[in-house]
Amino acid sequence: MSNGGSEHGSQGVANVEGKATAITVITPVKPWGRAALAVVFWAGRHLTFTLKKLQQLSFIHYARWAVIPRFPDGGAGERLHHTYLLFESNFNGTWDQYIDAFSEVVPARMKAIWGSSYGFPGPIPVEPFKAYIRRNEYIANHYWSAYPGASTTEIIAAQRVAAALEAFTQRSDGLAPDAFAAAYARFLTEVQGDL
Amino acid sequence: MTRSDHDRSGEALALTVLAPIQAGRESALAEVLDDLPAREGSPLARVPGTHFARFVVIDAPVYEGAPQKRDSWKASRLLFTSNFDAPLERYLDGLRSGLGADGETIFGHCVGYPGQADGRAWTAWLLAHRVKSSLFFGAYGDQAVQTVRDNIATRARLAAFALEAQGLAPAELEARFRAVFAR
Repeated sequence: MSNGGSEHGSQGVANVEGKATAITVITPVKPWGRAALAVVFWAGRHLTFTLKKLQQLSFIHYARWAVIPRFPDGGAGERLHHTYLLFESNFNGTWDQYIDAFSEVVPARMKAIWGSSYGFPGPIPVEPFKAYIRRNEYIANHYWSAYPGASTTEIIAAQRVAAALEAFTQRSDGLAPDAFAAAYARFLTEVQGDL
Repeated sequence: MTRSDHDRSGEALALTVLAPIQAGRESALAEVLDDLPAREGSPLARVPGTHFARFVVIDAPVYEGAPQKRDSWKASRLLFTSNFDAPLERYLDGLRSGLGADGETIFGHCVGYPGQADGRAWTAWLLAHRVKSSLFFGAYGDQAVQTVRDNIATRARLAAFALEAQGLAPAELEARFRAVFAR
């Protein structure tokens, strides 16, 4: 069910698939915002600290922002009074935790991204920020995850485990049982934090 | 492909489609989407390489009040977003055939949808309604869907093995390890 600015933004069941939650936000951008966002996203792409900060948040699977000056209509596009900013994210955890983290960990980036959108109250304090996101959020009618049981942290840990296991399997090939058991114990110590 | 440069994170790509819905069919489309089965019953489960995807019916843009001017579309929009394994062309083929009859029903509510019988027309229509990302982030864009699933299964297998193998004599430990994790 689409939201269109009603108050039930964080409650949509279709926004949740296992551990994954979807968020879809579209905000109207002030006249000067389009140029400002071009700079903000250029920096986001080229100065890796933004992406590293997102990585540190550690619960975002995938996220995107898109600036929409014209809405596709099969022709030249439908131009409205304003450019719009689309944000979509796939994360694990609750909606409240997600917005809390945005507010607490990356407030300057949130301000850079949404500061040019109408009605943005700033990332701090968090309650007006949450209300703003709710007003501009749309609830997914259908949401799919290929691995609904896994969090971002678990996926990255599993990648390390799989690589370590592959390496251990190779280096332990041909070891006598006692040497194998000792190597196995060291291997388990190496990966235990990721299991 | 210049157009998709900002839609890439490692080997993962972003696709954003915003298509106008035929007048008066917004609620019917929302109902179709709301009624789709979840998990492995979802038509998106049949589209290879999809990490996460969603359909959203968007009735109207949000109005935040003055000084914003009130905007209204000529038509409500269907938003489809996907985070998937490159390359785009292969994914679109899988999307068209994987969605199958569900795709016909869903996109059939949209203006100008040509149907999936003509693959070129279908792809052209979809890409004509594409919105390019300004910034795309993937926490593990180097991992394909199958790799993610395999790694999760491997981790679970190893955790289970580590518990079961506690206290085994070296020879038995090695034999069981080789049996479970044989390459």
